[in-house]
Amino acid sequence: MQRALISGVIISVLLSLVGTFVVLRNMAFFADGIAHASLSGVAIGIVASVNPLYTALVIGVIFSVVIHYIQKSHKIASDTAIGIIFATGMALGVLIISRRSGYQPELFSFLFGNILTIRTSEVWMLGIGGSLILIFVLKNIKPLTLMSLDSEMAYVSGMKAGMLELILNAVLAVVVVMGIKILGVVLVSALLVIPVAASKIIAGSFRSLILNGIIISVITVLSGMLISYYLDYPAGPTVVLTGTGIFVLTAVFNFTSKVFSKVI
Amino acid sequence: MREETVLLVEGLNVEFNKKSILKNISFEVKRGEIVAVVGPNGAGKTTLFKAILGITPFRGEVKVLDKPVRKVLHRIGYVPQGFSFDKSFPLKVREFLSLAIPSEKYYRIDEVLNEVELQEKKETLLGELSGGQVQRALIARALINEPDILLLDEATAGVDLEAETGMYELIRHLNIEHGVTALVITHEINMAYKFATQVICLNKDLYCYGTPKEKITEELLSRLYGKDVVMRGHSH
Repeated sequence: MQRALISGVIISVLLSLVGTFVVLRNMAFFADGIAHASLSGVAIGIVASVNPLYTALVIGVIFSVVIHYIQKSHKIASDTAIGIIFATGMALGVLIISRRSGYQPELFSFLFGNILTIRTSEVWMLGIGGSLILIFVLKNIKPLTLMSLDSEMAYVSGMKAGMLELILNAVLAVVVVMGIKILGVVLVSALLVIPVAASKIIAGSFRSLILNGIIISVITVLSGMLISYYLDYPAGPTVVLTGTGIFVLTAVFNFTSKVFSKVI
Repeated sequence: MREETVLLVEGLNVEFNKKSILKNISFEVKRGEIVAVVGPNGAGKTTLFKAILGITPFRGEVKVLDKPVRKVLHRIGYVPQGFSFDKSFPLKVREFLSLAIPSEKYYRIDEVLNEVELQEKKETLLGELSGGQVQRALIARALINEPDILLLDEATAGVDLEAETGMYELIRHLNIEHGVTALVITHEINMAYKFATQVICLNKDLYCYGTPKEKITEELLSRLYGKDVVMRGHSH
């Protein structure tokens, strides 16, 4: 449980931080596409008896680069490119795993998340990888924000907007795949979006958007994991529903405080 | 000061899908000039700015301060046409301006906000500003690195007449007080006449480059816009 809680905190911070740019750039479908496509990486790992998380990371990054270059070609719309990769990766994963007979519990845990199976080596990987990602994002927060607002403005400011976008896409793929261990392929993208959406309701500045988002994300993951552990529910759906509950509560709180401030 | 060439465009050609968008455009802008860029919709005015900035690929030569543009982008201030953003996104004006500068230059935020008369909106969210105020915030952002040249693409689009006049007065103020050279895309010929020292008439080709008084005639405007144009003078 200790490993689970530490991993939960790390991944919740990363998902929220990167999720800010996902929401700003309307990239939720991109994240979803990478999550589903990385199932092929999970399948490769299971069949090759290698840690599926590592193979999923490699495949996820490759797919994110492919989507990036397809989008840049302008001949195919962004959501079409993502849709192709989404379906191809998922189909490939199912095909690969079908070559193995019998029930595949590891695949099931990646589909819906199972934080309790996280290994010490994976916690270390999350910690080191997560720290590097955190340093990268914090060091580049201004160019990332400007690029997400308007890529031409970022270019005219002298930023290498194209390279930054490619790196952000790859970072997003890494964070999404890391999150699959807790939340599963099906639901990981929800945690990129829900805490930021809740934070947006109450944030009065960009700085508070990021900080509130991180706090809400950590509370969501930790409380969702604890509920899932003690009630023996699957981790991924429990965390997502906890997040939805917090989102609704935030919206209701915001609405009622606006009503009260008008009345009083 | 007026003799230094700030912007040189020579033989600029832009094509897209084998279709010519701009054809053999050449002009030179001296320091301290306000240049109005006029022409009908689809004439290539925005494409001209994007080619100058290197956003759009082109053939020909463009130099700012006698250097390739990519090396001196920090000396150019750009106000794009139609800056669309998610209005629900919580980004204060101060935060928006800070994206363009390192922390040791944050003092410039108050300075540029004073220039554009938006100081009282410093802590306001971008999404809560009016159209004219957003344009002023964009101009503030373009000014923050003390550029030598400003490119403003229809900076007065979507604002009322009072705000529009105010915007041109601001450009003239920046030109007089700070020696800023400006290229302004506009549909307002009368504003070009009143505020600009030079005018570029563009409709895929360069129809004119010179002073408004010399170049803006009924005959030229009729050729440029492809329809009969009647000019009426007013005395104020």
